[in-house]
Amino acid sequence: MPSSEDILGQKYDRCLADFLVKAGVGFSAGVVASVILFKRRTWPIALSTGFGAGAAYADCDRSFNPARIPGTRIVSPSELAPKPVA
Amino acid sequence: MYRALHISRRVAFTSRQGVVKVVRRRLATEAAIPKKKKNIGRRILWVTTGLTGTFYVGSTFAAFYNQAYYDFFSEKVPLGPSMLEYAEKHNWDTVTAAELLERTKNAAIATQRFVTDKINGTTPAKEPEPVRKVSVESQVKVIKSSAPKVVDHSKFETESMVAEAKKEFETRTEKVKEGTSEVAAVREKVATEVKDEVVDLVKKAEDALRTETPAIAETTPAEAPSKSNGKPVYEGALPVGFEPPPGYIRPSPPKKEEPQTPEPAPPAPVALPLVAPAVSSFAVSEPIIAQLAGTIDNLASFLDANPTAVPKVSDVLETAKTDLTALADRIEKAKEDERVVLESKLDEQTREYTQSLLELEMLAQDKLDSQEDDFRKFHDQERAKLIRDYRAKLEHELQTQTELINERLKEEVIAQGIELQRRWIRDIKVRVEQERGGRLGKLEELSSHLKRLERVALDNSTYLDENIRIHALWSAVRALTSSALSAPVRKPFREELRVVRHIASAREDPVVVASLESLESSDVPDVGVEPFADLASWFSSDVAPKVAHVALVPDQNAGVLSHLASHLFSGLRFRRTGLVPGDDVLSVIARAEHYLNEKNLDSAARELNQLNGAAKVLLQDWLDAARRRLEVEQALDVVQAQATLASLLVV
Repeated sequence: MPSSEDILGQKYDRCLADFLVKAGVGFSAGVVASVILFKRRTWPIALSTGFGAGAAYADCDRSFNPARIPGTRIVSPSELAPKPVA
Repeated sequence: MYRALHISRRVAFTSRQGVVKVVRRRLATEAAIPKKKKNIGRRILWVTTGLTGTFYVGSTFAAFYNQAYYDFFSEKVPLGPSMLEYAEKHNWDTVTAAELLERTKNAAIATQRFVTDKINGTTPAKEPEPVRKVSVESQVKVIKSSAPKVVDHSKFETESMVAEAKKEFETRTEKVKEGTSEVAAVREKVATEVKDEVVDLVKKAEDALRTETPAIAETTPAEAPSKSNGKPVYEGALPVGFEPPPGYIRPSPPKKEEPQTPEPAPPAPVALPLVAPAVSSFAVSEPIIAQLAGTIDNLASFLDANPTAVPKVSDVLETAKTDLTALADRIEKAKEDERVVLESKLDEQTREYTQSLLELEMLAQDKLDSQEDDFRKFHDQERAKLIRDYRAKLEHELQTQTELINERLKEEVIAQGIELQRRWIRDIKVRVEQERGGRLGKLEELSSHLKRLERVALDNSTYLDENIRIHALWSAVRALTSSALSAPVRKPFREELRVVRHIASAREDPVVVASLESLESSDVPDVGVEPFADLASWFSSDVAPKVAHVALVPDQNAGVLSHLASHLFSGLRFRRTGLVPGDDVLSVIARAEHYLNEKNLDSAARELNQLNGAAKVLLQDWLDAARRRLEVEQALDVVQAQATLASLLVV
């Protein structure tokens, strides 16, 4: 268990690793797909790499801010109060 | 008129009829019922009277002989008490059977005397009998009076004696009776002989008469047999008290004994010498002879009337007359003899009885005397024996009593001894107490001095103890401080804390105990606290730059990008040092670093505690460590203050 001041660094590390893996998986899947399906076109490679990188980013962002779940928003009471008036 | 006649006739008729009826009724009632009633009633009356009399007289006598019956008779039977009273008044209770017998015998003798005298036509002195009777009575009375006087309960003896005498009397009387019966038998014999003769004579006379005048003979013989019929059947006793009915010529007397025998001498001689005057001497005593004589005379007169039969009958009559006279003489003689014999016998027996009575009396007297002596002796013996027994009993009683008293006395003595001992002990105690009084007073003084000394010593010792305790506390606190706070490395200080707490609890200081308890309940003593130098270096080298990197991250919804941006841009900002104002993260860090440089951990922790968001997250561990150290420091400060206070109080 790391001390509290090292938590952020650890998160960065994990995000990077995750990004690398997912982007690599996307890249390789894109390569395979472009070779087999798309007659050696480059865009499938880029697309799948982008999918991988996006997934990694989403996960990383979630790790930094666990409260941020897609489709949900946490609203503070102070923000919530004037809304019903409007 | 017709009517009147009718009425009168009717009346007459009715009256006549009524008279007849009445007569008839009377006859019926008189003939049948009243006679019977009278007879039965009389018989019942007699029987009841006799029975009642017998019962009362017998009961009276029985009551005198039986006490139980006496009670019963006097209580239950009506007229019983009055009867008994009467009997007692007339001395029936003292009358014995023998006496009664004697009396009856005397009475019998007297009556016999009287009768014989009457027969003899003389009146010899009746005095000897009463005199004798009186003498006997007086003797009996003497016996009676002497017997109860001598010994009362020897009455029984005398009774038995009298009973014996009575028995003897009875036997004697029986003998007398036998004698009389013998005499009677002799007389009877004579009478039967005479009778036979007379019967023969009568038969002869009858025959003679029958031959002569059968018609008339029917009357006389009819009477004669009727008389003679009753005679042979009868066998009676003495005719002593008998009084003949004088007026009867031919009474069919079914009477007793000899006098009837001469009766059948009816054929009187025709020769006109009348028999009646010749036999007149017997007329009084032997009426039947007289009657017979009368009959003969009648016969003679009849013969006179019928002179034709005289020659035949006169002869027979003559013989009959002679026979009759002879018979009369003979009867007379026999009576005389009998009387003489009887008298002599009676006299003899009287004498005998008197003698025997006297003898018996003497014997009874002797026996009574000897019995009395015996009784007296026995009584004396019994008395002596009783006295002896009673004395022995009394002695025994006395002994037991004395034993009891002695025992009680012993018990009392013991109890008194115990009581005295108790009292003495109490007195001794009191005296000892009094004796001790003075010494004890001195002792008390001494003891008070000693107590004062003791108190001083105790005060001193407590003072010393307190000092020692405070010293110990101080040492412990110092040891704890050195091990926990001022040690160069982090190390556990549970042992030192325990010692301190022990000492503090011994001193019963609530403040110290409370502060140490809060410290002890946590896991800080086991883990130990970071040294200040470590904390300071940790913060300046490690925590402060990383916090500065996240200084620009927003407090909420900080994603990867904001973090990356903060990291990127915080490096571009100027580094501030010293006590800088501002609420931003970098200023706070600068102030904390400043405080840490001044070794003010408390202020540094306070500054850093104000941060929020990601900075706070990063500072979490360091703040915890700093807080732990501060807690320990605070507790130790309190303990030290208390120790200082105690030491100040002690001094």
